[in-house]
Amino acid sequence: MTSGGRERWATRLGVVLAMAGNAVGLGNFLRFPVQATQNGGGAFMIPYLAALVFLAVPLMWCEWAMGRMGGREGHGTTPGIFSMLWNHPAAKYIGALGVFLPTAVGIYYVYIESWTLAYAVFSLSGEYAGLSGVAAMRDFLASYQGLAPGHFGGIGTAYVFFLVTLALNAWILRRGIQGGIELLAKIGLPVLFLFAVLLVARVLTLGAPDPAFPDRHVLGGLGFIWNPDFSRLGDAKVWLAAAGQIFFTCSVGFGMIQCYASYLREKDDVVVTGLTTTMTNEFAEVILGGSLAIPIAFAFFGRETTVEIAKSGAFNLGFAAMPIAFQKLPLGNLLGFLWFSLLFLAAITSSVALLQPLMAFLQDELGFSRPRASAAVSLLVFAAVQVPILGLGAGALDEMDFWAGTFGTALFALAETLLFVWVYRPERAWAEIQLGAQVPAPRAFYWVLKYVTPAYLFFLFAAWAWQQGPAVLRMEGVEPGQAPWRWAARGVLLALLAGLWALVRVAWRRRRGERTP
Amino acid sequence: MTTAGWLFLVVFWGAIAGLTAWCFSKLLGKP
Repeated sequence: MTSGGRERWATRLGVVLAMAGNAVGLGNFLRFPVQATQNGGGAFMIPYLAALVFLAVPLMWCEWAMGRMGGREGHGTTPGIFSMLWNHPAAKYIGALGVFLPTAVGIYYVYIESWTLAYAVFSLSGEYAGLSGVAAMRDFLASYQGLAPGHFGGIGTAYVFFLVTLALNAWILRRGIQGGIELLAKIGLPVLFLFAVLLVARVLTLGAPDPAFPDRHVLGGLGFIWNPDFSRLGDAKVWLAAAGQIFFTCSVGFGMIQCYASYLREKDDVVVTGLTTTMTNEFAEVILGGSLAIPIAFAFFGRETTVEIAKSGAFNLGFAAMPIAFQKLPLGNLLGFLWFSLLFLAAITSSVALLQPLMAFLQDELGFSRPRASAAVSLLVFAAVQVPILGLGAGALDEMDFWAGTFGTALFALAETLLFVWVYRPERAWAEIQLGAQVPAPRAFYWVLKYVTPAYLFFLFAAWAWQQGPAVLRMEGVEPGQAPWRWAARGVLLALLAGLWALVRVAWRRRRGERTP
Repeated sequence: MTTAGWLFLVVFWGAIAGLTAWCFSKLLGKP
């Protein structure tokens, strides 16, 4: 179970499935199709591929290597890992971002995950069976979320599903690496892929399902994602969107990969193992995710409505358009169940990964037992999630998602690249990646890591700061009524960060105290 | 789907599927 006192993954396949579960999430099936559709279709795949090769793959290898390195010294999180890279008091505070970011995202992610569980149940129970039309389904969702009166009397049902989902996450985390996370991945990932393949087969064989609209063919929907619009390539927003999607989907820049990698053995390969995980994620995203939501929406609702749904966001696509489309097919409730179960499995394998860094920090650096850490994490999530639950309609969730999920991860990726490659020295970083490699990483990536990745990240930041930064900080374009909830969301984030910095201070003092007799 | 669209799809699907298969063959092939 453990070696040198630290938990370890049981098998190499187990690591891959756990890391793949970490990466494969709601972003593969909802966010990717929307991003591709909105940013030039097939042409979007060009900046997407560039971001994959020059950002995600090098960063992924760095994070795996850093994590394995940290595990050697009993550090599963980046406060400890960054201190190993840079002998400076600031290192651990910068590293605290690698616990802050996944926790912050995990807080609202678990809430969204609970919707997928609810809708899986609703698909079987027929709760939305009488509804026809996307508009009615959107009202159903809004009522479920407590944003509007309707089918649900209030937010009670959503709250119950959230508590069940949080309890499930806490239980898995409490069971630890092998008995919890790895076991979940070994069962969940194959089932997820099976459900996805069944649904893709169903979708791609639809043809033109509505005889009244013969031009609404499912291949037209595929065309939405793949037909290239090269004119969009000149727009920096498209390159930013592609990079953002790659970060989000590969889970780089969160501190999650380091955490999982810290449970590797000293000389376990990271090159092939890491690449396998990334490619599994890309398979789920591009091949499966790209062949579900948009094609079926196109086949049933046509071009204009699909564009409108894509513009209105991933939630409407996944929770409104998809179930209505499935309802028009034989065994529609079963298809709906497969869809939401697929989303739930994708989400829960990601949410445990989002919350494990805080678990690891509490255990590694503050000596918490696993049950105590699980209880602490659950309480924190429960307290903090009240803001995105109650402030959902006012953009509180969006606000958290932007600062933690988008801005924060890019900032953290820049910091970790500079620390691992430049401060720790490129030759040492490269040697660390190549240590135990089953197949050595191509030498070209040494140069990519040293120059291309940091420059790419820096330019992304500069572009964002120039185009959007001040407006976002000032909440331009936000309705005045939303501002208090968005500020509350910022408050939650700042409180979490400050709390973590305080804990880092306590942990390091504790360690100094233990060393001096 | 246009011809260009099919081209993009086939190239990307092929590359992703091929590389994924290669990775798993290495992963599972190692004793």
